[in-house]
Amino acid sequence: MDFSLTEDQEMFRGHIRKMLDTFGGTQVAREMIENKPENLKKLYHTLAELGCMAINIPEEYGGLDLESLDLVPTYEELGRSLVPGLFMETNALAVPILKKYGTDAQKQNYLSAVAAGETHISFAALEPFHDFSPQGIQCTLQQKDGQYVLNGTKILVPEAELAEAFLLLVRTSGDQEDGLALVLIDKTDELSITKQASFDEAKHVAKLDFTDYTITEEQIVGEADKGWANLQEGLLYFNAALSSYMVGAMESVVSMAADYANIREQFGQKIGRFQAIKHSIVDMKVHLEIARSLSYYANWVADTDEADREAAVYSARTYTTEKFIEASAQNIQIHGGIGFTEEIDCHLYVKRARYYDQYLGSTPFYQEKVVASLGW
Amino acid sequence: MDFTFTKKEEKFRTELRTWLEENLPEGWLEGKRDLPEDIEEYSRVLRDWQNKLYEGGWAAIAWPKEYGGRDASLMEEIIYHQEMVRVKAPPLINYIGIHMVGPTLIDMGTDEQKEKYLKKILTGEEIWCQGYSEPNAGSDLTAIKTRAVKDGDRWLINGQKVWTSFGHVADKCFLLTRTSNHPEKKHRGITVFLIDMDQPGVETLPIVQMDGHKEFNEVYLTDAEATDADIVGQLDSGWHVLIALMLHERTGIGAELFTLEQQFNDTVKMSQQYKINGRPLIQDPMIRQKMAGFYARIRGSLLNYYRNLTTTLKNGRPGPESSIDKLVVSELNKELSSFAVEIQGHHGVLWDQDAPADSKWQSLFLASFGQTIGGGTSEVQRNTIGERVLGLPKDMGR
Ligand SMILES: Cc1cc2nc3c(=O)[nH]c(=O)nc-3n(C[C@H](O)[C@H](O)[C@H](O)COP(=O)(O)OP(=O)(O)OC[C@H]3O[C@@H](n4cnc5c(N)ncnc54)[C@H](O)[C@@H]3O)c2cc1C
Repeated sequence: MDFSLTEDQEMFRGHIRKMLDTFGGTQVAREMIENKPENLKKLYHTLAELGCMAINIPEEYGGLDLESLDLVPTYEELGRSLVPGLFMETNALAVPILKKYGTDAQKQNYLSAVAAGETHISFAALEPFHDFSPQGIQCTLQQKDGQYVLNGTKILVPEAELAEAFLLLVRTSGDQEDGLALVLIDKTDELSITKQASFDEAKHVAKLDFTDYTITEEQIVGEADKGWANLQEGLLYFNAALSSYMVGAMESVVSMAADYANIREQFGQKIGRFQAIKHSIVDMKVHLEIARSLSYYANWVADTDEADREAAVYSARTYTTEKFIEASAQNIQIHGGIGFTEEIDCHLYVKRARYYDQYLGSTPFYQEKVVASLGW
Repeated sequence: MDFTFTKKEEKFRTELRTWLEENLPEGWLEGKRDLPEDIEEYSRVLRDWQNKLYEGGWAAIAWPKEYGGRDASLMEEIIYHQEMVRVKAPPLINYIGIHMVGPTLIDMGTDEQKEKYLKKILTGEEIWCQGYSEPNAGSDLTAIKTRAVKDGDRWLINGQKVWTSFGHVADKCFLLTRTSNHPEKKHRGITVFLIDMDQPGVETLPIVQMDGHKEFNEVYLTDAEATDADIVGQLDSGWHVLIALMLHERTGIGAELFTLEQQFNDTVKMSQQYKINGRPLIQDPMIRQKMAGFYARIRGSLLNYYRNLTTTLKNGRPGPESSIDKLVVSELNKELSSFAVEIQGHHGVLWDQDAPADSKWQSLFLASFGQTIGGGTSEVQRNTIGERVLGLPKDMGR
């Protein structure tokens, strides 16, 4: 038995961390708030040079053919600095789906480009006034004169301005899960993209409007009516990745809190000596370590066919989102007045925690999946 | 990452499993697990079980072979706990002897002490207790007042201990005493003695716990006797002995986690049986969310334990992170048993023979309050984690 990352994986973490430090940690996220994505783009370029995007791509498409677990250090480090972008949507959602269900042409086309760092794929599923359920998908894909036509609206599409392509979840028939399809479309000038305001301003989201937008059959990924089922498979990888990203972010929160408690003095002593503060940081730390263990396991189990695969991934997602929200909120309290300012990073983490908690399902939503997957 | 067990480990598991199936008390595997109410009887049954373990070579697997152990690896200990939990094996009455006193004596005891005690620990002939806490010294053991004074060639010990688990059945006590005063460095001047519980100077009075049981005691020491030969380690350096002893508890939390996991699975079964509005509880969305929450926490705690174990295996010793495990398991245990009683609705308050299925949950719920106190309170654990893992400033007074 060995429940740890390998030395290589830890070493790789070291490289990524160093690299992100040269970009100024959360500085990249802060620049996104000011709509300056230049450094983010540079950062992604460096990530590609380091081979990050190639990790889980088969060798025949220019990848390294490694496991999800090999991506964990990268996810965690990106989370530490709250780096936005499409790394997870691309490598942890679109890539596994393409690997499992894509046609040869799609794989050749997209996997190679992803591995080379040329293509970033965003994910468009959510729609106005609907939840993340099969019934919530109303954007239609209809056959017309040998072509396919898209109609409808997608919201909360992450980082549309950085994407070269979009993975879409659309309705082909009925109102159930067997009438849904996944399609991949390239970004072109004809696409109607409108930026949406998000309170996590470091994480850009957009609205995509489709009016008789035509695509070809070759753009459908996997069997047309298996879109929902295939997406669930992809979401296992995505949620495992997301939990690692949040673990990284939480680690940053815990060390911010501990560092501050070690320097800030009140009543003639370090505030970390007050147990109300000390114990609250300890609780954050305890939750962080448990979240980390859950997320390691989730990323490991995703590549296997273990019986607890779904339960493991979804419990990692729920536990981590919940505790990330708590810890990032408590971090503000521990910082006192300065914690409430824009100047200090505390707020960035609170916003990201909330963003992810409600992205593609909530805690109760995934808790239900845990229970259902266990057959209870 | 690799969650498989080696062939050798699997063989160990099969061997133990087979032995348990053949040697557990009559009817035990089928669920007949009643232990006698009467304390004498209870103690006899469990001593017999201890002796049976000894005869099978399963009494203290982590001890070196030369002292009657199996030199078991950490992984084998884990398997051992897993299997014991799986069959809901009878409680280990000599837990303190096997897991704490014995290993400490092997480590730092004299040849004479080893000769005198080790075998009797294994066979259950001598049950041990730990005499640390006193009315005014619990979390802060440096405040102990029980005094040992040299009188000719013997030591006379006077004072009072409290919360002494197993004190009523114990033959021997691992006793913390003060032998000299150091007002500045209070952890100095403490000495550990191995004393007889059935001597005239030792009086044991049971304390009734909130769950109705009497498992811990007050112990009054009035000119209780010991000799130099009963000192563990050096005179006045009992603090080191105590720390060494605590490090010997290598895998105990694992056993508690496996039990917790099993209890959680039992709550799942229970919530499939109990009905609300005519439907099984488990179909209620609120219950499902809570169950999912517990599932995540219990799996997470277990995985975290494995991760710390991996670090221990690699470094040869546990890191400070493992102090997280004790905090987590006792707090989680408290919440889970509370939940188990809560979901029984009005049935939840029924007790003993009138409890709906059995009063297991009610007992566990009440007993759980002891877990966040015994072995160091959750607050003290948090101090340790804060200071040793996170590097936060030291608590007051230290
Ligand atoms: C089931 C059970 C079995 C036990 N078995 C044994 C045994 O076999 N042998 C033995 O010697 N003892 C035993 N104990 C005693 C146990 O170790 C003590 O009860 C425990 O260490 C707490 O000490 P105390 O009871 O004096 O509480 P106190 O130390 O008085 O604590 C009271 C409260 O103050 C808090 N507190 C104390 N110090 C601090 C601090 N520095 N920071 C923050 N909060 C603090 C505590 O957390 C607690 O909430 C047992 C206890 C229980 C419940």
